[in-house]
Amino acid sequence: MENKIITKYWNKIDPLNIQDYIKVGGYDALKKFIRDMDARTALEEIKKSGLCGRGGAGFPTGQKMEMVAEKTEKKYFICNLDESEPGTYKDSSIVDNNPHMLLEGIIVSALIVGAGKAFIYLNGHYEKQKEILAHALEQAREKEFLGKGIIGSCYDLDIEIFQGAGAYVCGEETALINSMEGNRGEPKLRPPYPTDSGLCGKPTCVNNAETIASVPWIIVNGGEAYSKIGASCSPGTKLYILGGAVKKPGVVEAPTGTTIHKLIHEFGGGISCGKELWFAQIGGASGRLITENELDTPLTFSRDCPVPLGSGAVLIVDKSVNIYDLILSWTGFFRRESCGKCVPCREGTFRLHEIAGRLKDGEISERDKEALEDILWTLNNTTFCPLGKFAATAMSDAVEKLGILGD
Amino acid sequence: MEIKINNKKYKVEEGETVLDVCRREDIRIPTLCSFEGLPREAVCRLCLVEINLTDKLVTSCTLKVCEKLEVTTESEKIEKARRINLELLWADHAGKCATCKKNRMCELQSLAEEYKIENFHFVPRKDEMTVREELALVKENWSRVVVENENLCISRNSEFCVECRRCINICTEKKFSFNHRAGDVVVGTPYDQKLECSFCGECVRACPVAALTDQNNFGKIIQDLDDLKKIAVAIVDAGMEEKILEQLAKIGNKDKIDGLFAKLGFEKVIVLSEKDLRDEMIENFKADFARKEKINFNDIAVFFISSEIKLKAKKDKGLDYVLSEREVARLARDKISQKVKSKS
Repeated sequence: MENKIITKYWNKIDPLNIQDYIKVGGYDALKKFIRDMDARTALEEIKKSGLCGRGGAGFPTGQKMEMVAEKTEKKYFICNLDESEPGTYKDSSIVDNNPHMLLEGIIVSALIVGAGKAFIYLNGHYEKQKEILAHALEQAREKEFLGKGIIGSCYDLDIEIFQGAGAYVCGEETALINSMEGNRGEPKLRPPYPTDSGLCGKPTCVNNAETIASVPWIIVNGGEAYSKIGASCSPGTKLYILGGAVKKPGVVEAPTGTTIHKLIHEFGGGISCGKELWFAQIGGASGRLITENELDTPLTFSRDCPVPLGSGAVLIVDKSVNIYDLILSWTGFFRRESCGKCVPCREGTFRLHEIAGRLKDGEISERDKEALEDILWTLNNTTFCPLGKFAATAMSDAVEKLGILGD
Repeated sequence: MEIKINNKKYKVEEGETVLDVCRREDIRIPTLCSFEGLPREAVCRLCLVEINLTDKLVTSCTLKVCEKLEVTTESEKIEKARRINLELLWADHAGKCATCKKNRMCELQSLAEEYKIENFHFVPRKDEMTVREELALVKENWSRVVVENENLCISRNSEFCVECRRCINICTEKKFSFNHRAGDVVVGTPYDQKLECSFCGECVRACPVAALTDQNNFGKIIQDLDDLKKIAVAIVDAGMEEKILEQLAKIGNKDKIDGLFAKLGFEKVIVLSEKDLRDEMIENFKADFARKEKINFNDIAVFFISSEIKLKAKKDKGLDYVLSEREVARLARDKISQKVKSKS
């Protein structure tokens, strides 16, 4: 039972009806927070839980919240629901299946950091999710879980939905803030970090939707219980998005530290009939490639983990796939989604895509191979934000592990 | 506070960046996006250095000095990073220098020379390209280039742009911004409108390449200067001497200001501040001069040498041409080096 936190009530309750959620213990965390806890004790629980950012970076959530909670000025809380990694739809699934769990998480988290205003930064393509969230917000307001004096307490909070324009780079928190301020969606220089000077120069806590959705459970069941689930370096459960050549693709919830092998065979029902596994890509288009002999690697957010979990997308690629098409689609994605701010990423992703096109046509020259090596290196080492590094990951692995250059 | 740069100790003030210290101490760090007084954007990724606090390369232009900091400004890794990034920028420029307005006065060009960027990895030679690729390339490039010559003061050609953001940051009227994304980025006006501003010329001064240049009809200027029948008069604005010498230094010209204008083909030089320039003044001067020298009024060409390039649009003052310090240097580049060549 403990292995399901976020997906526990999926397909069991009506996501559009707040009453259904309340019946299964929804908003208990908020009530507990208001009646039995204060911001400090709740923050202690989050810190004890070891919860870390589910967007991919894996930064300890409690630490981030504390940095904002310490500040005395006006503060903001932002739920990052930009989710534009290819093959990733976990956050939108949370909204589709249990939007109130996310709202409860946002309310509690915002109260913990002491923000009077919270935003949901929604991907520009998520029209349906916007409607669901707007509906859920309305219901929550009616029940006085939002607004002035939340269920009779002295806490005030309002949540607003902010819809972006669907840029990948806006998932990066400083770019997200830029976008909300009406600027061009591109990362800002750090420091100052958003926890010091974020939205409109105020301390801002930006958390991924999945991270936030785990908060109510931690408040109700305690940080210690959460810290016992999954891998000790980054405890808890994680939503994995299985895709490609598996029998049962879709979003599954499993503890962190689950091996890819287990994900494929236990949760995904095995490799599709008649297909033969070639490699798996973990974490979307920016993810690493894992070949057959590495499938037993446990996936965690730890820096020591050889395979970064990233967004949690697990793409199973079988041997019938044309790798050159796949590479062209990766490089094409980053060639479109680079913000164009710094030289290596703007020019590098453009040239990488150009070379991937020639690779597909079988016209790659020696000069291209040299250039490819240089571009991958510069993307990895010199870009302004991590997007450049992401753009190089899969291609580097394809060169190294799959030998796509034919050497 | 003291920090170590390349194993040597330097005294530094708190709040300074490593680049500031290196500039002061004459330690060479190449930059393209940083410019006097403008906010540091750290987008060109050329000023990367290695430090003892992290394995990653960091941009020296934004790195604040701190206790126990040890900086390395030259290493194989740094060299590689600079070379590749320059090469990527250079790919769009390769082969265009000879005909470029900014030839020998271009920051990218001198950086490419400094780092010996010779390999054109990224621009496939024509004969190696398939028709489809060529079409794709033309299409890609097509969307990226904005050329505007409609106004009389500033000429824009995004073909040469290196997206350094200097013009964006220096413009007090916020006329420039990034349009589009990724490889399609064009530094342009909002909604690609025609550039309309007070034409202070700051963006032209800041532009490291030939993306923003002074608008003029250079062919006609040279023709007028070389025409034996025509008398070219240079009216030099106050404070121009220093600016011109600075520009001349870029092309390695060591001429003194006095002899320079004669060499360029000007028959007469007058120093007059723009403030003192009255509407009728030039006309009266021309008439006087024509009577005195017994020449045709229309054979006098008056050049106003000034940084105020907005005057280019004002024809009512009787000025035939307005030349900025950059254009004087360009004249010197074209005319003086030509003469040297024809002598030998």
